[in-house]
Formats: sequence, structure tokens, C-alpha cells
Amino acid sequence: MVGNPADAEDLMQEAFLQLFRKIGTFRGESAFSTWLHRMTVNVVLMRLRKKSLPTDSLEETLESDGENSGPKRDVGAPDLRLSGAVDRVNLERSIEKLPPGYRTVFVLHDVQGYEHNEIADIMGCSVGNSKSQLHKARTRLRDLLQEEIRQQAREERKAAKTPTGSLD
Amino acid sequence: MHCKELESVLETEGLGQLPKDARLHLATCGACQAFVADLNSIVSAAKSLPAEVNPPDRIWISLRAQLEAEGLIKEPVEVSEQPAWWESFSAWLKPRTFATVTAAALVLAAVVFVTRIPHGSDPGVAKNQPVAESTRPAQPQVTVSAPAATTLPANAAHAQALAPSKAKELAPSPSESASFTLSQAELDVPNMQLAGNSQVDLALRQNLRTLNAFIAECELHLKQNPQDELAREYLNTAYQQKADLLAAMMESGRGEN
Repeated sequence: MVGNPADAEDLMQEAFLQLFRKIGTFRGESAFSTWLHRMTVNVVLMRLRKKSLPTDSLEETLESDGENSGPKRDVGAPDLRLSGAVDRVNLERSIEKLPPGYRTVFVLHDVQGYEHNEIADIMGCSVGNSKSQLHKARTRLRDLLQEEIRQQAREERKAAKTPTGSLD
Repeated sequence: MHCKELESVLETEGLGQLPKDARLHLATCGACQAFVADLNSIVSAAKSLPAEVNPPDRIWISLRAQLEAEGLIKEPVEVSEQPAWWESFSAWLKPRTFATVTAAALVLAAVVFVTRIPHGSDPGVAKNQPVAESTRPAQPQVTVSAPAATTLPANAAHAQALAPSKAKELAPSPSESASFTLSQAELDVPNMQLAGNSQVDLALRQNLRTLNAFIAECELHLKQNPQDELAREYLNTAYQQKADLLAAMMESGRGEN
């Protein structure tokens, strides 16, 4: 959620400290793991707010991007299918670039396997919002991965134009 | 269905089983096909990512230090390597040798006390005469828990001359009486002409040493925890066992001679 291991370790420690300080407040209304997850997410979001980093509201409603919005097409570039091009390194790099809210829902659902009702409980949002955020996260990741592929293609072309390998 | 409607369906239903209209649109729209295929590729790749990452050990060490500093956790109390007194006692009871000896000694247990009490004498009078063979009855009958059959310590004799309430304070407890009696009986053990080289005799002497150590531990425990009834019960049982053991040792000595 925070995008770097150092901050992740600090926040992990802070989350467990909160756990021990507030263990007496656990009422058993939800699973202990859910309660711990919720506490951890809150700790992280508080840290991100202190840093004034954007934290997408999980309560935002569906937004309309236009009358004919659909799968976006990159103007001036061929459609880049991702099939076979989504490797682990590219994906992790792209996940780090996601906004925290999108990143949280995507990791909880697609990486850790939580269901939307559990995510809603952890994040304090509705199931509908959880689904919406997940779809937006996936869509954003697709854009980021396409950009990653384009960037790699540009670097390959640049490398091919070096004096030792000039194209003539 | 238009592309926008398909995306709304994907947002609310996910990538699972799509409704018929959506499937029909996908069959005819290449852009939406590519879009759905890309999302499926992303989901497949995400499943290969580790769901959990173990933090380095220093994180747990640092966390523990901070929890202790805040008083949220405490160091566990070190458990003594020595077994608890009841564990020592139960472990001592396990060997079959001791059980066999005890069973045989139960029949002869009263010999010790019957032969220690001269015929016609006052049980409260201090006497410490060696037991004569002619006075020993055939069947033992006395148990350790009867302080009247024992020789009282000096403070007990003094207590009898005091007022009843004061005497009660100074009168020895049954445990003290039994302990004194057994100690007196044990004094005779070295004088017995035991066959020190026999396996049984060696086992008896070893058992006596073990039992004495256990009794000492129990007595110390009771001094510190006088309300521990279970400990008192164990101690009384130990006294009984010692009496049985001494009887067996004496019988063994007479048999060897």
C-alpha cells in the first residue's frame, strides 16, 4: 500500500503496536483477521494522509467518463494486448503506481483472495464500492502496463539507434 | 448492448459469468474482447504474487522491545528446571521395585511401632529403648499418623504443663510428631546388621535417601504454605511410606542375620 519496503516495515510495527494497545476493544463481532486488517489499513491511511498523499475516497460513486466511454483506445498507438506480456516485475511496478485506495482493494482481492464482503468490512465501505474500486484498479493497471510496454519499446528503439547499431 | 454498458456490467459483476447480452456483445466487439482479455491476464498474474511477505526478524525484535518498554507484555517467568515436589513424588512412586517392597513391607509395618513401645508403658513418656526380639509381635498394627504412640519432643512435654490454649499453640503438629518418630526409628538403621551387599538392601537404602529428601522438601514447602492441604496429604503419605520402608529394612536385617 505504501510502495516501499522501509515504510511498510515501519507501518507493520505500528499496526502491531496498535493491536496490543487496543486488543481489549476487540468485541468478536468480526473475525480477528478482519479486525487486524482493518486496523492495519487505518494505520496506513493515516500515515498517507499525514504525508498529504492522495487517498482515493472509497465512497465515491460511479463516475461517467463520457457518453461513449468503453475500453480506452490509445490515440496514435496500436492497441497493445497484454496477453503474455504481464510478468511479475511489470505488474509489481505498476501496482506501486496505483492510488492507495485502488491498490488496497486490488491486493486484498486479486492477490490475497479476500471476497468483496470481507473487503467491505475491512475498508469500511459497501460491497458495491469494493467492486467498483476493484474494476477501476484493474483498468488503471491495464493502462499502466500498456505504458510500461510502450516505454520498453521506446528504450529498445533508442538502444538500436546507437552509433554502433545505427539503422541505415 | 454498447461498450459502455458492458463496462458497467464488468464493474458490478466482475469477470465471472457474464450475462447473455454481454457475451453477445463480446462476440462482435474486438475492442471489448481485448479489454476483457487484458483484465483476465492481470488477474492471472496477480494470483502468482505472494499473498504474504514475512518481515525480517529485526522487525519482531524491535516490536517486542517496544511492547516491553510500554509495559504491554512482560518477560515470562523462568520455570525452575527442578521438577515440582509432587512430580518428584509421583516419579518416585513409579519404580516397580519400590512398589514391590512397599507391598511386602505393609504386612510388617506395625513391627516398628509395636516393638518400639514397651508393654504397659505410657505413650506420652519419653522412652528410647532398643527393641528386644522377644517383645516383637507377629503382626504389625501401628501407623505413623498416631502421635500418641510416639515419643514427643521436649517442647511437647512442656506444653502439657501450660494452660490448654497455650498448650495448643506449643503442642507439636501431627506432622512434627511423625517426623520425630521416624527420625528416631531411622537412628536404628545404621545399627542394624543389614547385609549391605544385597541388591534388595541397596535398593532399600537408596529409597530411604530419596524419601528423606522428598520429605524435607515437603516440610519446607508446608512451612511456606501451611494452608496447602494437598502438600500435607502428600507428606503424611510419605511418612507412611518411610515407616513401611524402615519396617522392610529392619525385617531384611533380621532375615540376613
